[in-house]
Amino acid sequence: MKKQTKNTEENITRKEAIKKIGSYGKYAALTAIGTYILLNPKTAQARSPATPGGGF
Amino acid sequence: MSRLVVKKIEDKEIVWFKNSNLYLVLEQITADILLKIDKKNSLEEIETWAFKKIAAPKNILHKFIEDVFLLYTTNNTLKRDVQNNSEAYKVPTKHYSVKYYSIHNCVFKIQFETEFHLLKIHPTFAHLEIKKTPNYNFKYTVFNNKNSIVFFKDDIFIGKWNKNEAHVFEGKLSMQILIDIYKKPETNWMGVFHASAISNGKESMLFLGDSGNGKSTSLALLNANGFDCIADDFVPIDNNQNIYTYPAAISIKKKSVRTLLPFYPELENSAEYHFKKLNKTVRYLPLKNINYDVKLKCKALIFIKYNPKIELEINSISKIEAFQQLIPDSWISPLEKNVTIFLKWFLDLPCYQLTYSNNTKMIATVSKIFNDEL
Repeated sequence: MKKQTKNTEENITRKEAIKKIGSYGKYAALTAIGTYILLNPKTAQARSPATPGGGF
Repeated sequence: MSRLVVKKIEDKEIVWFKNSNLYLVLEQITADILLKIDKKNSLEEIETWAFKKIAAPKNILHKFIEDVFLLYTTNNTLKRDVQNNSEAYKVPTKHYSVKYYSIHNCVFKIQFETEFHLLKIHPTFAHLEIKKTPNYNFKYTVFNNKNSIVFFKDDIFIGKWNKNEAHVFEGKLSMQILIDIYKKPETNWMGVFHASAISNGKESMLFLGDSGNGKSTSLALLNANGFDCIADDFVPIDNNQNIYTYPAAISIKKKSVRTLLPFYPELENSAEYHFKKLNKTVRYLPLKNINYDVKLKCKALIFIKYNPKIELEINSISKIEAFQQLIPDSWISPLEKNVTIFLKWFLDLPCYQLTYSNNTKMIATVSKIFNDEL
């Protein structure tokens, strides 16, 4: 099974979200059944990273 | 006790993992296997069942089901992020600035230890500022601790974030204001969406999309054309599926100021804030005629995309495509009850992709959607 990459809220793309449970050689149908999309909602109620302030 | 919530989406299934708060979109048969695992069926039982459904040799199928077991275990053992509250904090007594805001009949006293903290919060609430008063309902304090931002409400620790997570701190403070003005705990909110919400007075619509696609500008334009602004950037929906007003000002990027000036002459002289890191400049436009009593149902989700080559195109999009765009950009309450409500809410909503460069046509299209004329 492929290692899952945890999507962060900044850099998710749909391509990254597509995962495979495994690869089953010539049994492509099984590989297809095992293909899924992994989606990680935000862990907190973030606002757009766009408000002012130049640092600490 | 089940650790999954499963809901059909088109020809696939959404599976939500309670322990990790992850959403998977899977083929139906794989979701069925996950459910059987969750119901403590043995590997042998599942193999016997699957052998009748899937045309593959037993040894290959065995490997597949083992892999689904691993998927189940992996997603159930991932830990959710938990805020560490073990440190003792010394809440400062000196502040760079203390501001008072009146929001929905509540007075907030917010103490900012540094200018940085002030600039993170104040510009979006500046239009709600009032004079100093001893009669406030809530006291928030924001300060630095070992290079982190710490947020207290009265004497209660709410959270701490490192400087890269300043937008999460802003979100948490915005959430606390939401909880306090509507007197609804976090558990009563279904989600907060990174969107703009407009209304025709009866229903609301959410505009979603990556930054730079005109969510805020469209909201301001629609507001100037007779629609009400409900919220920008932070759209709260409770677990009765009602959209609530949120009074933070709309952030208007420099490139949109010229488009909006005919409607909002006050933008000409409003303060400008420059973000070095993001290389952009914004001004803040307060929502007009804020009405905290309206609680509106959502008519549709509109994923908007600005494209200078296209005047206007509107298409229904698949639920799966919409789900993929919605989830990573949203805070969905991680409580099972609320996840069930959220999934039902989302699956019943029409979803559109709106690509545009012509604002007049965009406004006409939004009217059509509200009037069921599309």
